[in-house]
Amino acid sequence: MSLSDLLKLILDLLFSPWLFVPLIFPGLITVFLLILFIIWFERKIAAKVQLRYGPLYVLKQLGGAIQLVADLLRYLFAEPIVPEQTDKLAFVLGPIFLFAVSYIPSITIPVSSSFYAIRSDIGLLISLGLLTFGPAIVLVIGWASNNKFSLIGGLREGYLTMAYEIPLFISALSMAALYGTMDLVEMVEAQSGWTWGIILNPLAAITFLILSFMSTSRFPFEIVEAESEIVMGPFTEYSGILYGLTMGASYVKFYVLCLLFSIMFLGGWQPVPSFLSWSPVLPGVILLIKSLVIMVFGVFLRSVYPRYRIDQALKMGWHMILPLSIGSVFLSLGLIVLGVVP
Amino acid sequence: MSEERTIELLIGPQHPSSGHMRLYAEVDGDIVVRLKPNIGYVHRTVEKLAETKKYIQIIPLVERPSLADAANHNLGYVLALEKLLGVEAPPRAQYLRTILAEMNRIHSHFYGLGIHGIMLGSSTVFMWGFADREIMIEMAQRLTGARLTYSYIIPGGVRRDLPLGFEEEMEKALRYIERRLEDYGKIFLRNPVTRARLEGVGVLKKEDAIRLGIVGPNLRASGVPYDVRKVQPYCAYPEIEFDVAVREEGDSMARVLVRVEEIRQSMRIIRQALKKIPDGPILAENYLKMIPPKWKEFMEKKGRVKFPAIMVNLRPPKGEAFSRVEAARGELVYYIISDGGTTPYRFRMVTPSFRNVVLFEHLIRECRVADIPAIYGSLDYFPPEADR
Repeated sequence: MSLSDLLKLILDLLFSPWLFVPLIFPGLITVFLLILFIIWFERKIAAKVQLRYGPLYVLKQLGGAIQLVADLLRYLFAEPIVPEQTDKLAFVLGPIFLFAVSYIPSITIPVSSSFYAIRSDIGLLISLGLLTFGPAIVLVIGWASNNKFSLIGGLREGYLTMAYEIPLFISALSMAALYGTMDLVEMVEAQSGWTWGIILNPLAAITFLILSFMSTSRFPFEIVEAESEIVMGPFTEYSGILYGLTMGASYVKFYVLCLLFSIMFLGGWQPVPSFLSWSPVLPGVILLIKSLVIMVFGVFLRSVYPRYRIDQALKMGWHMILPLSIGSVFLSLGLIVLGVVP
Repeated sequence: MSEERTIELLIGPQHPSSGHMRLYAEVDGDIVVRLKPNIGYVHRTVEKLAETKKYIQIIPLVERPSLADAANHNLGYVLALEKLLGVEAPPRAQYLRTILAEMNRIHSHFYGLGIHGIMLGSSTVFMWGFADREIMIEMAQRLTGARLTYSYIIPGGVRRDLPLGFEEEMEKALRYIERRLEDYGKIFLRNPVTRARLEGVGVLKKEDAIRLGIVGPNLRASGVPYDVRKVQPYCAYPEIEFDVAVREEGDSMARVLVRVEEIRQSMRIIRQALKKIPDGPILAENYLKMIPPKWKEFMEKKGRVKFPAIMVNLRPPKGEAFSRVEAARGELVYYIISDGGTTPYRFRMVTPSFRNVVLFEHLIRECRVADIPAIYGSLDYFPPEADR
């Protein structure tokens, strides 16, 4: 076998969807780059609102764009302290699992109509189902830390999970009912010609967006880690890279939810010109940009809102968003009965 | 162990929002059953130290407990000392004292608003509050030469006259603050999340407020229009028109809104005082005549007081004096007993934060864990001031 053959083999392997999707886009590398960008952006936009500079000195020409690389290095070289009284195995493995289960659902996301790692009739359920592992691990972390603040934070996560997960599933499934499929690729295909989900069923879009903010501790629902109340919630005892992982995990989960949001409500990689649809590059870029817009909006809320109290957030989840999401199911059914969608 | 229903939460002294104190909270689920403040972490024996220092040296000492409100603490002490000495500051000095005291009130209220913002999770209000307090720090620097601890008010007058162009600069600063207050209204005071967090939380009833001896904005938010500036006017306040900010609700939101209204009233007072300020000396006549002619010339040219030698060893006659001023956080009381020596025999200082600390136990009860910082911030409690 010659060298060029070997190179071709490696390239083929690398650009095969089974490797490309988990590793490059929307998987690991994009996840890391996006975390670096979005946290930098969050700090920068908050700084803009708050009349200060924000990150500046690491790569000054680009406004401190790689500040987070410096932070990551600092996390990597800081000593991860494991306190004496903790359940050590759960304490150390918790953040690693938390990051992993937040990242895994991204492999179920299709990049274009012909480029995906997993395609299933129940693709939507698989990605949402995989997302529900995270809160359980947060509960374990809160328990294993053996700290009262961690315990309270873990329990808050548990309560909030109950309040957001059910309406989240209902509003996602209302879209599945609307398109008549749970296959993510078919869902995007059903939105061709600008009949985007957000236009057809705005109720489901709004509830899904609010609930994804709630499930990833964005403001005004930053209740689990509420600093002025319970220090850092379940992650109080963490330091070094273990803390970095817990912090990154919520951003990864937010990223996956934003990808799902763009696929369900913003037409995924639509509109892509038909003569370019053979290549996954343009559809992938469109999908990424759409999710990025949602993420940017989500992190911007930090500079606008204080945080709700847990009982107010729970009340909002059960009394307002749950009925709204059920309403979105009826809206979908109504659209089907009226024949708006085929 | 199995029968215990509540857990004890120790909030502080090393907690992001506890301040220099510890709160013992007994928590049943998410409900705070009982909360006890444990104060004294920043006790600096100001009262006892004052008994070892000369009268003029006590001025920097009393400023330290409350950095955001240094001028009012300075003013209260000097008023008591002047009563002992039997001197009175000339009218121009009285006006200058009033202006600095009100500037400090604005500064202190912005500081409190910022701290309250971060306690509720609004980092924007935290940054804004701390940035906008800078305006008054800068103006105070122009007037006194120092940013925080001015030591500006001395027995018989003040240390410096108005600098050139101060009125115009101040007008600009006040207009800026007026504009900013609108922004605060948009992002914090009328924000639905803030209102959900503060309205109806930590309600202090009128009769409880009077019974517990609460002072300052916390008292006025419960519907009691008590303000030392009106009840027992001092300095230039009798000649100046202003309203006492009062609200009836008594909840955390009312306490915040009273402070915001007080910022507006302080701006009104500063504007009037700058307009009405009379010409004349800034030091009392009997000290002025002790200054050597060369120094007096310098003083008149530069508008800066050269301390007369007598200030070093002030010897008030035997007796006692009592003074009270309305500091930013409430009524501030000084009581000095002199035995005729160069140091006070007894020095007593009752700070507003110390009188309000009882509210922690009274208000934070049967509420949520998340309400602890919300109520704490609304009290504008400042541990160093309470501990002295």
